[in-house]
Amino acid sequence: MVTQYGIKFAVHIITNHFGNLVAKVCECLLRRGPLTFEQLVRFTELTKEQVKNSLLVLIQHNCVQAFILEQEGREGLKVNTQYLVLFDNILHRLRFPKFLEIVSQDLDEECVELLEGLLRDGRLTLKQMVDRASQRRENAVALDVVQGSLRKLLMIQYVERCPAPEPVLSPPVEQDTKKRGAKSKRAEKPETIEHRIFEAAVPAEGIRFSLTANSELINNSDISPMRVGENVAKEDSTPFRANFEEFIRRLRHKVLIEKVRTTHDDDAAAVLRAILDGTRNAEKKVKMEKSVPLTLDAIFTELQKTENGRAMTMERVRSSLVLLGCDLGKYNDSYTIELKKIIDSARDEEVESIVLKRYGRDAYRMFRLLSRTDGFLETDKIAESTFVEKRDTPKILYKLWKDDYLHMEKLVLNGARQSKFLLWKVNKPILLEHVLDEMHHAALNLSLRLAYEQEKDGELLTVPKDKIVGQLQQRYKRLRNAWLLLESSLMKLDDALMLFHDF
Amino acid sequence: MPLSSKSHPISTSTSDASSATSKKNHRVAAAAESYTSDNGGGSTASSISFLTPCQVFPLVRMQGSSLKRKRPDNVPSSVSLTDAERVLYNVIQGKRDLGIWSKEMKEETNLPDNVVRKALASLQVKKLIKEVVNCQNKAKKHYIASEFKPSKEITGGDWYSEGNLDKDFIEIVKDVFLKIIFIQKVATVDGILEWVKKNHAFHVELTSHQIEEILQALVLDDQIIEMESTGFGEFASVPAGRVCYRCKNKRGPKGEPKIGAMASIPCGVCPRISSCTPDGIISPRTCVYYQKWLDF
Ligand code: SF4
Repeated sequence: MVTQYGIKFAVHIITNHFGNLVAKVCECLLRRGPLTFEQLVRFTELTKEQVKNSLLVLIQHNCVQAFILEQEGREGLKVNTQYLVLFDNILHRLRFPKFLEIVSQDLDEECVELLEGLLRDGRLTLKQMVDRASQRRENAVALDVVQGSLRKLLMIQYVERCPAPEPVLSPPVEQDTKKRGAKSKRAEKPETIEHRIFEAAVPAEGIRFSLTANSELINNSDISPMRVGENVAKEDSTPFRANFEEFIRRLRHKVLIEKVRTTHDDDAAAVLRAILDGTRNAEKKVKMEKSVPLTLDAIFTELQKTENGRAMTMERVRSSLVLLGCDLGKYNDSYTIELKKIIDSARDEEVESIVLKRYGRDAYRMFRLLSRTDGFLETDKIAESTFVEKRDTPKILYKLWKDDYLHMEKLVLNGARQSKFLLWKVNKPILLEHVLDEMHHAALNLSLRLAYEQEKDGELLTVPKDKIVGQLQQRYKRLRNAWLLLESSLMKLDDALMLFHDF
Repeated sequence: MPLSSKSHPISTSTSDASSATSKKNHRVAAAAESYTSDNGGGSTASSISFLTPCQVFPLVRMQGSSLKRKRPDNVPSSVSLTDAERVLYNVIQGKRDLGIWSKEMKEETNLPDNVVRKALASLQVKKLIKEVVNCQNKAKKHYIASEFKPSKEITGGDWYSEGNLDKDFIEIVKDVFLKIIFIQKVATVDGILEWVKKNHAFHVELTSHQIEEILQALVLDDQIIEMESTGFGEFASVPAGRVCYRCKNKRGPKGEPKIGAMASIPCGVCPRISSCTPDGIISPRTCVYYQKWLDF
């Protein structure tokens, strides 16, 4: 689901980071879907060189993935290289400070530094990592030190080998290459082209997170020295990159745990954390609807790894599991938590708080009523359930409807009693898309305003500190506060963007 | 979007609003004091302390606002009516507990304005019809045959008084309930009903249905959470599986909903967001909301 303002915001990020030309190519791909090099040249009206360089930048920074599409033509199999833009990875650029924060909590300073390099340069080979580390110090850093850090990052899956540069896709399933950003109303989501490319490009699990993919070969003494040499050379040129998926998973887990803490209590949060930690490697994707089943014993063992968890008795664990929606005693003593429900409720909370602030408390109650009801409710029924004056109710509902927060249908009955009814409901999928679009719009606005503030008062930053007195000091203080507020708001809003798009 | 046209679907009849505040607080019972004195008082105590405990109010709202009289469907023989009065009476009577708006009456009977006006006045004097307040629009003159009790569509229902939603009373009931739930930690409808009865909290009797209505409103206010008892720990007093309520805020009965990331920034609550564009007349560069927000 990429909304119109999602595209605008992504293009804005690319413009800021890589300039207008790269952004033009990026926008073209975002709006039109995967394209060949020739098509890109035609649509962007840039020179071949410009398009090529832009693509190289986007590929280097993991924002574009090339793939070879095999198509059945009249003259047999036709093969062409296409470029797919990775919207999510563009937005992840906003989150680099959050990713670094996670690593600094889990690992040492060297790992943080290594990841910083990967985020800055997009992808690096081991040799490049060593060079980079050495540049920052007086003495050259030994290969095994960098290897050590990389190994730690790979082990915890924060870093991965880059996917194959041009995976081959056999003839596509129908309609796969439809435009990004188009609204899909089908109930069953078909496998997206991104998903197919991802499947084809990403190395198998064992190789994806290993330092030396052919380590077995290398350690095998039967292999001729020539072959070993070849492999080592190959290893040297293997690029690595940050594994965004794992960071997003971490952030999602954090949101899930905190949401449970505010809805229930610390115990329930500790139990959920134990379950998520205990099953982390078994999660097949980020957006897991349910947690991977775990036995009570395994949960208990996992809990004992933390100080707070050790204090919990079996009784408290069982009680928390019930709070988390588990039926005790079923499923062979294995428990799964409905993670999607927790995410949904966090999303609802975000939308409801917009309604509260924008339309007031009566509207808030009405909206919450409708969003908890399957199907339609009639105006008077809404008034009664929410204790709002019957004559005021239609006006409030109308405002929400006009701004796309509600769906409305008219019902005309030809009877003796009331003849026209207005029926209302919250259409969740459409609403969520609408809110996400508004959020992307708001994020773009925050970012534009930040740029404007910098442009307006930027020269203040060049004034020497001791010259900043009197009125200048006032202006300087205002500028600093404005930046802080805008930046922290953007980071917070980005949490909400992830909640709606990535989780 | 499923809705292509966004023309106004509702006739915006805005009439009103004679404030009917004088009677509003009459539904709060002095006995609520027994609750507040038990618990050291609080906002509820202060909000109801101005009521005189000895006021006794008729239980109009709860027990129905009119008596049902037995009367045949047609005009009583003892009363003599003009033709116009007879026609009008039959129309009004035919609408039973819904009654009818004077304008609709004119349309149905085709009688001239002044005739209708005179006939209505006369029917009222003869106590055959009565005027009732329509909660949808208080300016509308709405009539109903005397023998009927106006329906919920007209009065607004249990929580309405004279065509107005009794908001003050509802707020006070909500406050009292919130405090009960906070003190009890986990509460059920039956538990609250019992408490209300025991403490004579309100002069009017609340049914368990009405208690449920208020609890649901508190759920919608995000003040309390409805859940099923786990039977464990805090819930031990309520059998497992029974619906019960807990305060959302753990530190006090009242809490404010969490303000999300979007709602904390100008664009999140902006009425102009759909007409705001990066280079348009309304833009983040020229935005007055931002100007105010960043004015330190
Ligand atoms: S920038 Fe200003 S006008 Fe535009 S959406 Fe935000 S608050 Fe509204």
